[in-house]
Amino acid sequence: MSELALAAILAGAVLLASTVSVELGISVALIELGLGVVVGNAFDVGVPEWLAFLGSFAGLVLTFLAGAEVDVPQLRREWRASVSIGLVSFGAPFAICAAFAYFALDWSGDAAKIAGIALSTTSLAVVYAVLVETGLNRTVIGKRIMAATFVTDIGTVGALSILFVAPSIWILPFVGVSAAFVFGLPRISPWFFGRYGNRVIEPEIKLAFASLFLLMWLGERAHSHAVLPAFVLGLALSGHYARQRKEQERLRVVAFAFLTPLFFLKGGMNVSVSALWANLGVLGLLFVAKMLPKLVGVYPLARRYCAPHVAFTTLLMSTGLTFGTISSLYGLQAGIIDETQFSLLVAVVVMSAIVPTVIAQRFFQPNAAEEAGREAGAPGRSGAALETEAGS
Amino acid sequence: MTFRRMLVAIDGSEASERAYAKALELAALTGADLTALAVEGPLPVYAATIGEVDEVKREKDAFFAKLAARARDEADRAGVGLAVEMRAGHAAETIVRAGTELGADLIVLGHRGHAIRDHLLGSTASRVAERAACPVLIVR
Repeated sequence: MSELALAAILAGAVLLASTVSVELGISVALIELGLGVVVGNAFDVGVPEWLAFLGSFAGLVLTFLAGAEVDVPQLRREWRASVSIGLVSFGAPFAICAAFAYFALDWSGDAAKIAGIALSTTSLAVVYAVLVETGLNRTVIGKRIMAATFVTDIGTVGALSILFVAPSIWILPFVGVSAAFVFGLPRISPWFFGRYGNRVIEPEIKLAFASLFLLMWLGERAHSHAVLPAFVLGLALSGHYARQRKEQERLRVVAFAFLTPLFFLKGGMNVSVSALWANLGVLGLLFVAKMLPKLVGVYPLARRYCAPHVAFTTLLMSTGLTFGTISSLYGLQAGIIDETQFSLLVAVVVMSAIVPTVIAQRFFQPNAAEEAGREAGAPGRSGAALETEAGS
Repeated sequence: MTFRRMLVAIDGSEASERAYAKALELAALTGADLTALAVEGPLPVYAATIGEVDEVKREKDAFFAKLAARARDEADRAGVGLAVEMRAGHAAETIVRAGTELGADLIVLGHRGHAIRDHLLGSTASRVAERAACPVLIVR
């Protein structure tokens, strides 16, 4: 199949995914991933270089957007209570999944690390959607869960950037430029936006993309991944985007209309259905290896900080999607994992987006009005919650 | 038979407008308190970015704010006291839960709403009728 024919098929898939997403209320990312699986397996086509390249950049843009969407003031208020949940939510599945892949599945050390990273994530967006839908995003517990999710994701992007670094001189420019962007761009953004913003030629989006491309290149030279600086850069610019909502929306439009579909399609196209079918048992075991440490590790901390919504909190912290897919794709592209390992990891990541969310919403969904009343009226309210609010 | 507290589900569809008109009539006749419940419907599940969720939420908020304002105007003209509640979630579950929480003795809703998933998975009206703890009036 020619590359143009494939591009036409993918463009049709992107269009179909967006319309199905609107009609069924399911995230467009998940549908794009699914259609990528269909295209990749039905037409038996590989991922062309242009798609691999654009998909990699799109993954970095997604990471940047995730950082830019963090509510930093809320994070500052809740981070003390959330840091233990977030760290355990990252550390426990990372250790168990990596050990399981290494010792039980006989994966290489680096492949086991990718498994640990990909399966340690908690999805900011999945958690956010559930909290907004239930109204819990306005309660202390909801804010605490979001902050814990952020801590987990910092662990994930940090591990992905640091664990594979090969010592070389390129680390210095990678770290130096990352730091310069993180500290410099928030300072020059107001001036840059004032002078060049609000134009259809979008210099401010080009500034963000140029920064991300440079980080991507330096990260590659340093045998690392630019997800950590991209995430932190997004975080550093979140205040700027909070003040310039239209600019953020335009960035999202560019990302969602063209870039992120390519990322998820690329991810789906690399999934081998036959490999999954042949390894259903391993798939189930990896899913258990992700869920069990999340549940066992987070549950006691949720009892302390998020009572009485312990099961709900624990299940939400077990979800994953975007960073799990980004980590798996990095592993595949860097030659650390093979197609079967990638297929298994992405399948587990998708299952972890769906299964705990459905269970949390179906069986443990709290009543936001009751929760807000409980927080306001205080009977039964935990001391931790009182302390945090008093300190904020 | 008299009603003291009625709940009517509104979503801007033709069927829900007919249901709302009927609920206003009944409330005016019986003197019942009327609550209009606007169920925003689920946000995109399993989203990849917060932006995707935020955008849908903003669109829904704007749409349902207009709907609520129109419902209030119509209630004023009909001389009926109206409370409006907006909630997000799956329509049938949210309506049933709101009916229970508000102590409604009648739930009024249209036979078919906006959602395509209703056509695929069965209508909201039939699921509310199955699960509600009080009588349900489905308006055609």
